[in-house]
Amino acid sequence: MSDIAVGSSRAGWRARSVPEAGAARAAPDARRLLQLALAGVWLLDGVLQYQPFMFTRAFGQMLGATAAGNTGVVASPINWDARLVEHHTVALNAIFATIQLLLALGIAWRPTVRLALGASIAWSLGVWWFGEGLGGVLNGSADPVNGAPGAVIIYALLAVLLWPTDRGGRPAPFTAARAVGVPVARALWLVLWLSLAYFALLPANRAPQALNSMIAGMESGEPGWLAAIDRGAASLVAHQGLAASIVLAVALVIIAVGVFLPPPAARATLVLAIVVAAVIWVIGEAFGAILAGGATDPNTGPLLILLALVYWPLGTTSAEPGPARARQEEIPA
Amino acid sequence: MSTPAWILDIFAALMLVVAAVGAARLVVLRPWRLGRAAVIADIDVSHLLMAIAMAGMLAAGLRTLPNDAWAVVFGVLTAWFAYHVAQDARREGSRALAGGHCAPHLVHAGAMLYMFLALTAPAARGGSGMAGMGASGIQTLSLPVLAFLFALVLIGYSVWDLDQVSGPGARPHYSLAIPRPAPAAVLVGVSAGVQAVQGAEPSGAQAVVPAREGGVAMVAQPGVTDQAASCAIPVSLTGTSPVLVPWVATACRIAMGVTMAFMLLIMI
Repeated sequence: MSDIAVGSSRAGWRARSVPEAGAARAAPDARRLLQLALAGVWLLDGVLQYQPFMFTRAFGQMLGATAAGNTGVVASPINWDARLVEHHTVALNAIFATIQLLLALGIAWRPTVRLALGASIAWSLGVWWFGEGLGGVLNGSADPVNGAPGAVIIYALLAVLLWPTDRGGRPAPFTAARAVGVPVARALWLVLWLSLAYFALLPANRAPQALNSMIAGMESGEPGWLAAIDRGAASLVAHQGLAASIVLAVALVIIAVGVFLPPPAARATLVLAIVVAAVIWVIGEAFGAILAGGATDPNTGPLLILLALVYWPLGTTSAEPGPARARQEEIPA
Repeated sequence: MSTPAWILDIFAALMLVVAAVGAARLVVLRPWRLGRAAVIADIDVSHLLMAIAMAGMLAAGLRTLPNDAWAVVFGVLTAWFAYHVAQDARREGSRALAGGHCAPHLVHAGAMLYMFLALTAPAARGGSGMAGMGASGIQTLSLPVLAFLFALVLIGYSVWDLDQVSGPGARPHYSLAIPRPAPAAVLVGVSAGVQAVQGAEPSGAQAVVPAREGGVAMVAQPGVTDQAASCAIPVSLTGTSPVLVPWVATACRIAMGVTMAFMLLIMI
């Protein structure tokens, strides 16, 4: 059928159509890409919530365990929630998973991005309390190497920082400042990373064998190669809890103040933040225990990396607000 | 306990819808009439096959072929899309690997191949289908890291597709609008049946496509052709048939990507 002038081969179509490919549409701007990354994490979170483990009573028990050590005001609602989940595990977990799936799709679908981001903040705060016991922040069990201050609160922080609005007429130096302004964005970063430094120095975390035990405890159920990494890392910090905590805390303080430095130095501290978050994700969190089949989320590692990218200094062009960028985002009001 | 059967059934039903859409698109397009140009239907063929296979994995009652047969099918599809991705990469550079039009389909086909090869449950051996995920405990996949990586990439493509399909100035492939025939479309005989436009070799930037029965012959022009003819039905071929609207294929791809990520992660 070569006489059919359809080009008779896909190569023919391609040759004619490729020149138009790039011209049709501008690539999304940095903030939209970061929103999509957040949507991707929510989607991963939602799918993980459908895992078989989550449909067992163990899920409710896991929620209940986060109440331990918290004051009555914090613990009572957690215990109530955990009992409810234990009694209606299948229905409630299916609802939880579906909500997270919808949040992801809502953020990725441009007309609903505001609605989904707003809902994700409310949902995150609820889960932080009822599902994570406020990340152990109030009961002294928070450990930056193992998920403090709770992955889900970072989802909320990201939703705030990636809110599709622009404050002020001046170009923002980094994406996070576009929605909340430079001072607030910097303050949020400072509070987060300084609190992580503080948690690193808590007595429970600086004990000689604390870090060793925590890392060694991640081995269970992991693939051989990851268990070997954990074993190696655990032996490296055996009886070195205090020294390791101090080194980590110093790194976290440097990261915390990094956003106040000039762009080249800020970039260096953000790279440090990404490296620290990656090390935490691999060694301390074992990829959120996803490979062991019992994860409810990927844990804080990838979220801290995403957060660092939200604070990455922007070039003049991409930082400049204006009609061109508005067209790229095109988020309905 | 495994993931409740009714949840698996919902995903299986979604896959049946995708399969039906893929089949409908093939029926409307009738690629067998296009000769060598029939390759443009590869996406719909792959969607049809993947959706049927996934429905069978999710619900025992929807099993069709033995696992080994599916592995061969998806091996062929993986090789097919790998070939086109390589061609795209040769022409457009590394950009085609990440953002090319064939790349997502390569990942989908590769993930299906991996799933059928990596099943570790005894029921997967020699059976016809996977015995259903909800039937008797969940099956697991060997090399769980690969499952995780595939799931991440599938999630990435799904989110990207959703953004593109809902964005302003979407490329024709993502457009939510029903594409109109090119202005130069030429009406031909209403009951002409399969009409090859004899001697109408494309000149310059134009290409004439054959008339469908009772339809129109259209001239594809630069402004109306799909951005990547490989792995896609050119917009000019879609006419005004709702089922051939470009975003329908994208929606199917999103549904399959999410379902596939779900399957990969619950089988880790």
